Amino acid sequence: MAEVISPAQMHIRRYPFWTLLALLVAGWCGAPAPAQESISAPHVTVRLVVPPAQIYPGENFPAGLDFKMESGWHVYWTNAGDSGEPPAIDWKLPRGITAGAMQFPAPKRLPLGPLMDFGYEDEVVFPVPLQVAADFQPKGAQTSIGGHVTWLVCREVCIPGKADLSVTRAALASAPAAPDVDAAAQALIAKFQLHEPKELPAGDSAQFQSSAKAFTLDINTGTRQSSAQFFPLDETVVANAAPQPATALPNGVELALAKDENIQGVPKTLNGVVELADGTAYVVHATPEAPGAPGAQAALAKAPVMDTLRAAGLALFGGILLNLMPCVFPVLFIKGLALVQSSQRERRELRAHGWMYTFGILVSFWAVVGVLLVLRAAGRQLGWGFQFQSPIFLALMAMLLFFLGLALAGQFEIGLSLTSAGGALAQQNGYTGSFFTGVLAMVVATPCTAPLMGAAVGYALAHSTLVSFVVFTALGLGLALPYLALAYFPGWAKLLPKPGAWMEVLKQAVAVPIFGTVIWLVWVFAQLAGTNALIGLLAAFLLLAIAGWALGRWPGERPATATAVLVVLVAIVAVVGAVRHLGTSPSAAADSSQQAASGWEPFTPALLAQYRAQGRAVFVDFTASWCLSCQVNERVILDSAAVKQHLKDSGVALVRADWTNQDADITKALAGLGRSGVPTYAIYPADPSAQPQVLPEVLTKGIVIDALQSLQSHPQPSAHLSRPTP
Amino acid sequence: MRRLSVAIVLSLAFTLTAWALRVGDPAPDFTGKDSQGQTLKLSEYRGKYVVLEWTNNGCPFTKKHYSSGNMQRLQKEWTGKGVVWLTILSSAPGAQGYMTAGEENAYMAREHAAPTAAILDPSGAIGHEFEAKTTPDMVVIDPSGKVIYSGAIDNRPTTDPDDVKGATNYVSAALTESMAGEAVAVSYTRPYGCSVKYEGAE
Repeated sequence: MAEVISPAQMHIRRYPFWTLLALLVAGWCGAPAPAQESISAPHVTVRLVVPPAQIYPGENFPAGLDFKMESGWHVYWTNAGDSGEPPAIDWKLPRGITAGAMQFPAPKRLPLGPLMDFGYEDEVVFPVPLQVAADFQPKGAQTSIGGHVTWLVCREVCIPGKADLSVTRAALASAPAAPDVDAAAQALIAKFQLHEPKELPAGDSAQFQSSAKAFTLDINTGTRQSSAQFFPLDETVVANAAPQPATALPNGVELALAKDENIQGVPKTLNGVVELADGTAYVVHATPEAPGAPGAQAALAKAPVMDTLRAAGLALFGGILLNLMPCVFPVLFIKGLALVQSSQRERRELRAHGWMYTFGILVSFWAVVGVLLVLRAAGRQLGWGFQFQSPIFLALMAMLLFFLGLALAGQFEIGLSLTSAGGALAQQNGYTGSFFTGVLAMVVATPCTAPLMGAAVGYALAHSTLVSFVVFTALGLGLALPYLALAYFPGWAKLLPKPGAWMEVLKQAVAVPIFGTVIWLVWVFAQLAGTNALIGLLAAFLLLAIAGWALGRWPGERPATATAVLVVLVAIVAVVGAVRHLGTSPSAAADSSQQAASGWEPFTPALLAQYRAQGRAVFVDFTASWCLSCQVNERVILDSAAVKQHLKDSGVALVRADWTNQDADITKALAGLGRSGVPTYAIYPADPSAQPQVLPEVLTKGIVIDALQSLQSHPQPSAHLSRPTP
Repeated sequence: MRRLSVAIVLSLAFTLTAWALRVGDPAPDFTGKDSQGQTLKLSEYRGKYVVLEWTNNGCPFTKKHYSSGNMQRLQKEWTGKGVVWLTILSSAPGAQGYMTAGEENAYMAREHAAPTAAILDPSGAIGHEFEAKTTPDMVVIDPSGKVIYSGAIDNRPTTDPDDVKGATNYVSAALTESMAGEAVAVSYTRPYGCSVKYEGAE
């Protein structure tokens, strides 16, 4: 056993006589024994942290036991798990000072082969509340606070340790005017106090059901949680190493916990610490759920197959509707154009083209879903539409469409299948061209996630891989359906006008929505990368125009085509360089001053919680600059005079969540509402246990006003109209 | 979805039960080689009480019971009453607690340990069969082959040898109660100690 020998003991062994003399002298003078506040033991440094410099009657403060471990070494939680023991302190305190129980911050799982322990790595501070009684009498100018600490620190092997730690502090008879406190020590303890599991708030609940070999634990927190971990406080109830499959519920989360195979009977309460996906930890004392109780937990009693089918149906419909969105319409328009021209061809070929287009859409949807699922698994918080948060991607899209627009306007010819842009492959006639046209359609459709699609996408991303793929396949099919229908019923194509001179005019007219899309993309780009990088993009447009001129002046000639390609490459390099070196992230100052003027405050989770704690409902507008429907809703509905007046009268707090750049807090909040994209409009009632009301993506004044009025009819607890102090 | 999760957990638990140790169930039979080179089977001790003691000579919790003489005393006391005491070493080669036959014999001679036999289980097969979690981890089997106790050696989960005196020894209690024809009062506790150093553990 590795017992730690203090320096004092070493001293005694080497100089017995002098030590004895020193002790006698010290004893006479009444000087206290030398205080040792920390100790360096094998693989761990243990320190007693007492922030106040003075001890006086009536003082209450948290002291701390600080363990700093070498990498890979750990100490244990109050329930260490399958092996190990937690640290302990036996206090040696002067009369009048009492210590409460050692507090344990939320632990980590420490797997060890087939076993599972619970503990801490790197550093942990255990806060201990100390109380100085009102009748505390200092005996001398100083007082000593300390105790006997024992611990076990392990990696592959375990090293127990023990030490007597103490600190001396000035002892006063009454509270000083300005108490002196070590701020750094205080902050260290406060940091770990934040990690202590909190009691479940009043509106939340935890209940469990017991089956032969497992518990199902339902935790209701009022918001949907995607996952959670349970750390048992009782030792022989739950199998520590068993996996805990989590099911997200509308109001919380459900965990399946394997029982310890030697568990005796059914426990009256299931006690433990629950750590949610966002890191908050609660102490729960779950009570048995009455069998057959219909709670919100029973919401998933509906057969999951029906839910998936319904989501898939919505996704299909949403995909069809997407064809009308300004993001997609130009491509479909162009495709229809090509169809008009080729309506002379054989039926089979037409159908095959239609299927290749559909296949192109589906493959790109699957590829994106696959990447999203991989990233989701990797723990990143991404939502649908993320690629439009990258300025370089936006610039390249804008350049692509600009080039296409030039061709449509007549500067040069790309050929009959002018729908395919973005590379030599897509410019081919035939099946490959159709395939890549489908890919292009999907790529451009992503930011337009409203209406109907928001819920389906949020649903899919929150559910299993299979469900995600089913929903996204339905979405892709919907997107491809109109063109596929035309390909199958060329009779309908006969309804289209016969080819003629008007086609050239039509082709040139299509350039208009294409250039419109380019303007929108340039606007979003400027928001993201700043006006200096815009120079690079506009210069690239000039280069593209030059390349297009070359292609038009000398059609089909090798040297001209090669030059054009070279110029396009230079344009791309110029843009990337411009974004890298001249790009600035959108200035937060300009945004916030604008927002303050408009009455909308920028979203933070703390702000939301503060307003609700104050008794005020909060209207949160989740938006992004690249989201067209968001901009429309804001300018037409939310900024309209009538709605503004109602918002002001209702006393609801106005918060805007700008998701233009990847924001982890906003992504989390969206996930909590069951959404993964924008626009999303939610009214969070003041009562924290009440469900937030989510408005539809397409707003009307009536919808907003009705929602605000229904809020009034529910009594809000003590509504204050003042802003919270930051 | 909830039913699916429960089904998954149940099926996992079911497979786990295949080699899980349940107090009251018959103990799984095993064949092991002891430090004298003899091959032993658990079933050949049917008709006698058997105590299984998982050990790791480097673990401070094991050292507590050996340096205080507690484990040796228990071994002498109960083997004297006809109990078969098997010390089992499930540490993987290279891990703490692993010993060759010669080293184990020397260790036992030095410590004056007196088990019936010391079984070398470097592959951890016997440990996994009995789900041994820590060293020490104790299992008591009655003459009919049923497990009547599994868990900690006593009720003081510390590394301090002074805590042996005055602790309630669960192994002695189980043996005493069972030999008197009574039901074992405490048949399962959380074993305390260092984790068994199985092959493949970090």
